[in-house]
This record gives sequence, structure tokens and C-alpha cells, in this order.
Amino acid sequence: MLKTMHIFFEASKAAMQAITAHGMRSALTTLGIVIGVGAVITVVAIMEGLSANITSQLDDLGSDMVTLRAYTDPEQEMLGFSNKVSYEDFLLLKSKADNVTDMTATMRAFSLGSSVQYGRSTTQTQIIGTDSSYQNVVHIYPELGRFLSESDDLKRRRVAFIGSSVAKKLKMPPDPTGQFINLSGDWFRVIGVAETRGSLFGFDQDNYIIAPFSTIRSLNGSQATDNIDIMFRPQSDASLTDIKIQMRQILRQKHKLLDDDPDHFEFHSAEKTKKQFASITTSVTLVASGVVSISLLVGGIGIMNIMLVSVTERTKEIGIAKALGATPQFILLQFLIEALILSLFGGVMGLLLGYGLASMVSMMMPGSSSVLVPLWAIGLSFGFTTAIGVIFGLAPAIKAAKLNPVDALRYE
Amino acid sequence: MNDSTTNVIELKHITKNYPMADEDFLALNDVNLSIKKNDYVAITGPSGSGKSTLMNILGCLDQPSDGEYWLDKQNVATKTETQLAEIRNKGVGFIFQSFNLLPRASVLQNVMQPLVYRMMPAAERKKLALEALERVGLSSKVTSLPNQLSGGQRQRVAIARALVTKPAIILGDEPTGNLDSKTSRDIMALFDQLHQQGHTIILVTHEADIANHCQRIIRLVDGVIESDIRKQQGELSHA
Ligand SMILES: Nc1ncnc2c1ncn2[C@@H]1O[C@H](COP(=O)(O)OP(=O)(O)OP(=O)(O)O)[C@@H](O)[C@H]1O
Ligand SMILES: [Mg+2]
Repeated sequence: MLKTMHIFFEASKAAMQAITAHGMRSALTTLGIVIGVGAVITVVAIMEGLSANITSQLDDLGSDMVTLRAYTDPEQEMLGFSNKVSYEDFLLLKSKADNVTDMTATMRAFSLGSSVQYGRSTTQTQIIGTDSSYQNVVHIYPELGRFLSESDDLKRRRVAFIGSSVAKKLKMPPDPTGQFINLSGDWFRVIGVAETRGSLFGFDQDNYIIAPFSTIRSLNGSQATDNIDIMFRPQSDASLTDIKIQMRQILRQKHKLLDDDPDHFEFHSAEKTKKQFASITTSVTLVASGVVSISLLVGGIGIMNIMLVSVTERTKEIGIAKALGATPQFILLQFLIEALILSLFGGVMGLLLGYGLASMVSMMMPGSSSVLVPLWAIGLSFGFTTAIGVIFGLAPAIKAAKLNPVDALRYE
Repeated sequence: MNDSTTNVIELKHITKNYPMADEDFLALNDVNLSIKKNDYVAITGPSGSGKSTLMNILGCLDQPSDGEYWLDKQNVATKTETQLAEIRNKGVGFIFQSFNLLPRASVLQNVMQPLVYRMMPAAERKKLALEALERVGLSSKVTSLPNQLSGGQRQRVAIARALVTKPAIILGDEPTGNLDSKTSRDIMALFDQLHQQGHTIILVTHEADIANHCQRIIRLVDGVIESDIRKQQGELSHA
């Protein structure tokens, strides 16, 4: 045991001396590994950062928020049918559904179009009508002023709660509350501005105007276009599946659907989006890692090449070592450790390079958070580089260990 | 003294042939040789007669094609590569005509190198190496690199390296071949001294006055021992 450690120590020292004797060449040799590992770490760090960022935004949005909206079977759609979820459906669910904390209805303001005007500025936005519960379901809070109140809805007030982007695009004063904006000829008084949420998948999440549901409903006019989205949050300990089963029953009954009729509605949840996104990042990471491991292979071949050159170059030196009593095991270990050190050095440099690149990229990406290099990626890189060092160092090391002392000494 | 139990080296029907394109080349042809403890032997002969080939076999750097080599009553042919490495490390000290020092290592590091291949603490290694350098009179050059030394000094380093493991047998393949006559005499004085200290010494040489330092002169011609002369005590040191 002691002897093994001693040999290991002395062989490492000899290997280190050989590496530092050709500093520049050693550095260049590891370049393949540096680039390979650097690329892996960069890709993984960016993907991890991106997905952590998006996951946290989805969490903000409320991963347990569920939206119920109309769904029309494609066959029926071709026949010109279009199903609706009505305000009455909403009222029914609100009174009957169990295990739901907050529930709100939203309606698009068809009649108002999508352009909004303030002073000389005009911009495009989405205008939705909803009630005061919206705040609790969607978790949207005022930065300035207040959100819609129940009385706004009851009295069909022409008031608007606006996203921060709207205020900015319309060049409104620092505190826009009390200002009037024009929605297709109708004037609305701004009562509040929401906290900024930033962008998700490149979408500006702060470009919207919220007005009382009753106001939008009356402006939309005809009951025929009365189609709404219903949003709710399940109670934290409740089963979403059970809630959905109950809501389906209530709605199918109300819509008088027969047993084999398809639903007129469907449920969406952010949980689903999150899962889809996770599977996308996983496959991107896998593909990128696969591509990148080819560069690690190339790096390994680079190390093998330089080690073979090194063995040939140092044939005489190996001959002297053997003449002085170096065992084949010692020579083998020395060259193997040399390959391993080169490879691991490349791994460490690659790690630093990758971290640096990922930090740079994350600085340029808007709204992204700190760089995350997961432990498994570090472990994998070191595992890979160790394996490369051993696998590609073995052939040159065996070649060196097997040299016949006389032949090696005679080499010029 | 003539008792065969004191033979440290025994060669029995040693041949060495090098495979060549058309016909194998016989560099050593049925060489039989016994060398006693504390013998002082010169091997001479024309160029190409097989002197180096023989020395390489004696130093376990090469294997004979046929015949038996008994070193310290042990058949070398039965040894593994690792055991041979141990013999090269402890049993024999080999000195080359072209020194074979590591160019990037200091004098001290060169002399310590054989000890690296043993389990020996660094401090003890350094102590032994300094002792060996002292014996060859090079204590003032421990930190020099080989290319900062004269030929004679380099050979002294090589001799110190061969001595550092305290081997019973010292082999020198033309150790003075690259040196001028004055330096050669100094080196030979060193070998005489080592002989007096009890080492068994075998030297290859072309020069008669070098051979005359030895007690026994073996002449090799075309891979065959042509003559093997043991000198009388009185003739020893007239050179
Ligand atoms: N590896 C080899 N392959 C083929 N032939 C060899 C090899 N080594 C030596 N020989 C041949 O064996 C013969 C003996 O060589 P060796 O080196 O032993 O001669 P030597 O007596 O030491 O000569 P010198 O005095 O010139 O050093 C020479 O003819 C040489 O050509
Ligand atoms: Mg020779």
C-alpha cells in the first residue's frame, strides 16, 4: 500500500515535470478538452438558467391557476358551430363548485378593438373585462392606485387598471392615475397601474388594460358574443382532478350534453406549460450535450496524439529510466498520469471558460437571472475528462512501458 | 578464491543473434565466462566484435538469444520485467560511453534518479546522492545542469549515479571513450579506488593503458572470446 502510494507520488511528480517542460505544447494539447467541456458547461448553464427563470415566472403566474374556456370540436367547427362559456355558466360554477378559493371571469372587449389613445400617443394592447376577484386569481397587484372594486363592476364604471407597459408606451405622467385614456371613442379613467412582471417567452406581460366586467359586457352589447374565460385557484389541499370532474358535471348538465357529446369547454393550467417546457429544455440539453461530447472525443484524440509523440520523443529518456531500474508499472503510471493531468487541466479550464461564457450570455439575455452550473454537469465533465485521460492515455503509456531498454537507449 | 561459489557472474554458451533481412547476424557466439567477486576485468576487441552486446546482457538491459546468464546464483532468464528492473536498480551500476544523463535535470537530480524507483524518503535520497557525488569529487557541482559540465565531470556524475545504489557490480561500456587522456587517467583512478573498496568492475575499452589498470583482460573477436588473460599481482600498477 505504502509502496503503491510512493510509486503514485513519484510517477505524478515525473509526469508534472514532463508537462511543465513543454508548457505551451501542453496547454495547446488540452485545448480540445477545454473547448469541449467549455461548450457543455455553457449550454447546460444557459439551459438551466433559462428554465429556472421561466419556471419561476410560471410560478409567479401561479402554476396552480386553472383556466376554463370554450372548446369546439374540430368536426363541429367545420359545420359552423362555435361553443361558448357564458357568464351564467360562471355564476353557476361560482355558486356550486367546491374546493375553489377564488374564481373570476374575463371577457375580451371585442367592441373596443385593441388600440388605445392618450394625448397624441396611440398603442396596441389587449383589453379585458373582469371583476375584483381577478387580482386574487392571477396575483396581480397595483404599483400605483388601486385594482377594480366590486362597486366599479356594479356601477359599470368606465375605469381602467393598466399594465406598466401601457403607461410607458402612451407616455403618461409618472403617476397616471386620474388620467383619461380613449378606447375606440370611449373614455376610461385610469385608477391604477400594475407592478411590472417582465416578459415570458419574449411576450410582454405588462401590456394590457383591465376594465370592469359589466362595463365591457355592456359595451360588447349583443349577448351572442357573450363568451368568457373562467379562471380559478383550487384550494391548496384539494385535488384538481376532483374539481375538474365536478365542474364538468355541472357544465355538461347545464349545456344539456348527451353522454357521447364532447365537452363544450376545456381546462388549461400553467402546470402543463411548465411540463412541456421542461421536456423541451431536457431534449435541447441532451442534443447539445451529444454534439458537444463529440468535441470531447476529438479532444481526447488530441491528447492521445501528443502523448504518442511525447513517448517517441522521450524514448531515450525512457531508456535511461529503465536502465536505472524504473519498472514497467512506474513508466506506465507516469505516462497515464501525464495524460490524466492534461485532460483534467483541460476540464478545469473548460469549466471556467464555460462559466465565463454562460455569465456573459446571461448578462446579455434580458430578464434572466444568475448563472447556474448544476453539480451533475461539473461531475459529468470531470468523469468524462478522467475517462478520456485514462482511455486515450493508455495506449501511449503501454507503448512506453513496453519499450526494450537497449532499443530505447539506442534511440537518437 | 578459485572456488566457483564466489562467481558473481556466470555465462554459459551465450549467443546473441540479430535478425537481419537475409541472414541472422551472430554478434555473440557461444560465450562462456565466469567473473568472481571483486574481479577487475577489461573487455577489449575490435569495433563490432560484440563488446557492447555482451555488456548489455550483463547489465540486464538485453536478453541473450540462447544460453544461460547466472547472476548471483540466479538464472536471469527466469526473471520478470519487474524483477529485472530491480536488478538494474540495485544489483548493477551501468556507466555508458555517452553518459546518458537527463539534460534537464540537475547533477543532484540525476544522481538521485535510481533512488526514485525505490521506496526511499527524499531526505535519505539526497543524503546518499551527496555522498556518491563526494566520492567522485563533484560536491561543488550539485546544482549544475549536465551541459554546464566538462566531459570528465559528466562521466563522474554518471559514475556517482551508478554508485548511489551501492551495487556489487559496476559495468562501464567505454567509460573513457569520450574523454581526453588526462581526464581518462582521473576516471581510471576512480575505478581503481572502487575496486579497492570491493566492487566487482567490468570495463569495455579500446585503449591498452586503460586495460592495464585491470587484473584480467578478455579479448573478443567476432563474437568469440579469443583470449582471457589474468595478470599477476606485481604487474598491476605500472601504468
Ligand atoms: N540492434 C542491432 N541490430 C542488428 N545488429 C546489431 C545490433 N546491435 C549490434 N549489432 C551488430 O552486432 C555487432 C556487435 O555490436 P557491438 O555494438 O556489440 O560492437 P562493439 O564491440 O561494442 O563495437 P564498438 O567497439 O564499435 O562499440 C556489430 O556488428 C553490430 O552491427
Ligand atoms: Mg560498443
